[in-house]
Amino acid sequence: MSYTIALVGNPNSGKTTLFNALTGSNQHVGNWPGVTVERKEGQVQRGNQLYTIVDLPGTYSLGALSEDEVVAREFILTGHPDVVINVVDATNVERNLYLTTQLLEMGAKVVVALNMVDEAEDRQISVDEKALAQRLGAPVVPTVASRRKGLDQLMQAAADVIERPLNGVVRLSYGESIDAKLAELQEFLVKGDLTYPPGWLGVKLLEGDTYVRKIVRENASLQSSEEFGRLWDEIAAQEDDWQLEIVDRRYQFVSAITKDVVQRPGTAVQTATDQLDRVLTHRYLGLPIFAAIMFVVFQLTFAVGQDLLGDLMATGMGAFGSILERVLVNAGAPDWLIGFAGSGIIGGVGAVLEFIPLIVILYLLMGLLEDSGYMARAAYVMDNIMRAVGLQGKTFVSMIVGFGCNVPGVMATRTLESRKDRMIAVLINPFMSCGAKIPIYLVFIAAFFPSYGGLVLFSVYVLGILIAFLMGKVFSKTLFKGETSHFIMELPPYRLPTVGNVLRNMWDNVSGFLARAGTTIFAVVSLLWVLAVLPGGVEPYGPESILGRIGLVIAPIFGPAGFGNWQAAVGLFSGIAAKEAVVATLGMVYAGVEGGAELVGVIREVFTPLSAASFMVMTLLYTPCAATLGTIRKETGSAKWALFSALYTFAIAWVMAVLIFQIGRLFGLS
Amino acid sequence: MLKELLVEIDQADYVSKERLAVTLGQSVSRIEDGLAELVRLGYLSQDNGLNCADLPCGKCPYVSMCHRDPLKTWEITDKGQRVLAR
Repeated sequence: MSYTIALVGNPNSGKTTLFNALTGSNQHVGNWPGVTVERKEGQVQRGNQLYTIVDLPGTYSLGALSEDEVVAREFILTGHPDVVINVVDATNVERNLYLTTQLLEMGAKVVVALNMVDEAEDRQISVDEKALAQRLGAPVVPTVASRRKGLDQLMQAAADVIERPLNGVVRLSYGESIDAKLAELQEFLVKGDLTYPPGWLGVKLLEGDTYVRKIVRENASLQSSEEFGRLWDEIAAQEDDWQLEIVDRRYQFVSAITKDVVQRPGTAVQTATDQLDRVLTHRYLGLPIFAAIMFVVFQLTFAVGQDLLGDLMATGMGAFGSILERVLVNAGAPDWLIGFAGSGIIGGVGAVLEFIPLIVILYLLMGLLEDSGYMARAAYVMDNIMRAVGLQGKTFVSMIVGFGCNVPGVMATRTLESRKDRMIAVLINPFMSCGAKIPIYLVFIAAFFPSYGGLVLFSVYVLGILIAFLMGKVFSKTLFKGETSHFIMELPPYRLPTVGNVLRNMWDNVSGFLARAGTTIFAVVSLLWVLAVLPGGVEPYGPESILGRIGLVIAPIFGPAGFGNWQAAVGLFSGIAAKEAVVATLGMVYAGVEGGAELVGVIREVFTPLSAASFMVMTLLYTPCAATLGTIRKETGSAKWALFSALYTFAIAWVMAVLIFQIGRLFGLS
Repeated sequence: MLKELLVEIDQADYVSKERLAVTLGQSVSRIEDGLAELVRLGYLSQDNGLNCADLPCGKCPYVSMCHRDPLKTWEITDKGQRVLAR
């Protein structure tokens, strides 16, 4: 004799492992007719009996919302398997039994393979399989498919069920009104002479199942009945409510069973999360707490990164520069190469690398916040403020990404559905202070505000956010009017940060930073070095060099902002290629002039505290880097918006820098 | 429970599966199932943020910064709003 067994279960329930364990190499793979869903069949010989096992697609439900669902239920209803083995994950019985309930409603002969019982034991989840079998009216066999445990008992249970007649179809009560409507429907459906069980068809019609609706709509005898037509219209008007009610009743059925047969350990952590959130996401306290946490992060960055480790890299780079120069001199290298190595590589790229200790500490601390689950709360707190000023809160999600880098920050706006929200999010993202700008702030903080490093860095970030909010509001009232969509943010539970995750997060960021120092910044500095020493015959790194002449043309623009020197101008200009290049360029041009002088010391002589503040604000807000502009062009589908972004951010930055410098002077600051 | 879950989400400031579980007297895994079911049936939509798997990142030097989006958001669809309005 030959029998057919259908294997059905949720994705990740171990169904395929069970199928492989049962059938071994005796398998055949093809496709279900008309769809791209894979069909796997295998055979098992037990005594004189041959069992063909059909592995149905993994699915959570037997509705009509995916090809997988339709394929699975069509086979069970019309393929006439002799028995259905339903693989249930013992670690998540409640979720898996929803599918079991639907199988029972279909009138299928079911055997439950309670799989992964070993994992359930490890997690202290206990399932009373006898009680479960009794409640379901179907045998339940514990299995561990990966270790081939319980397979014989499972096949034996399947063979027994095949021999037995069906005990009757499980009928759930869906509540008085739905049950009444179902009875009314069934009277018609019985007369319709349809291939499917009328009871199941009725439930599916009330659930608004599009596939079943099509079958019934195409049935001539049903459609010719006026009474059925009225019933049909009534169902259509109520289907959303009924659908929810029917699904709920199934879950209630499942919950009632699992409450009695499944025991799992308590979940004390959940309460702690809730209690913490009452404070950290508080309507009034949430924002000050977020600000205080960020302030502490920046203060610690300076306390540890600058005060304790700050000299490490500077000393290291200095020593490396001396060795490199000695090696080149001893090797008889030409002067231009020695100059390039000293001023270009060590002075330029080295100036950026000196700040690695601070960047390591900053990303280590940010990683701790992220891994603990706090950053989602920060976004939630900011979301409330964004809504208060009439902006789409979800914009802040892309802004948070922008703090790392504006390129993925702009890409993250893809998750905003409305064009209005997306365009605003794209245009304000460059105001988020990306990681590449950090060395710029660090140089100027080290030169002028070493005692207030954390506070200054914190203020710079806050200013970027405030300008972004302000411009967002302006754009939503002018260029992009319209309704914002409403969304709700999910707050994950708090967890203890793991060392591995925090270190990985830090390394991802620092390695990205190092990679750019070795590629983009190196290329920019090399090009600028050539421009700084040409044409021949003029003083290298001087105003007569090509770079100096370019700088002199641009520099007057920045005069009102307090930094109208050509070095600052070319620094800002090179920052359009990559923001790290600002420091690298300043390092190169000043190292060349001052004969390898330390950048911070030179900055202290060239700038004043007021012009330094003005320069920092300029770099925070001005034209995004080329990669970001390219992404804006790609994401908006228009070079016009990329150009607009480049120009308007420059204008905002210039106005802010000039205001800071001029107002500061009015107050007698220098 | 599904309709109550939808109502709770509509009235809540944020989605916390733990808080929803306490409010509705259900387990967290039951709430997760309910949310998944509401998404599956089209009453709710979920956004897991930018997924780098969808992007042709290749050897982009910024790729390490792309995986930092820990934020998930939910939105009640028009179908969900219709049910809530009744």
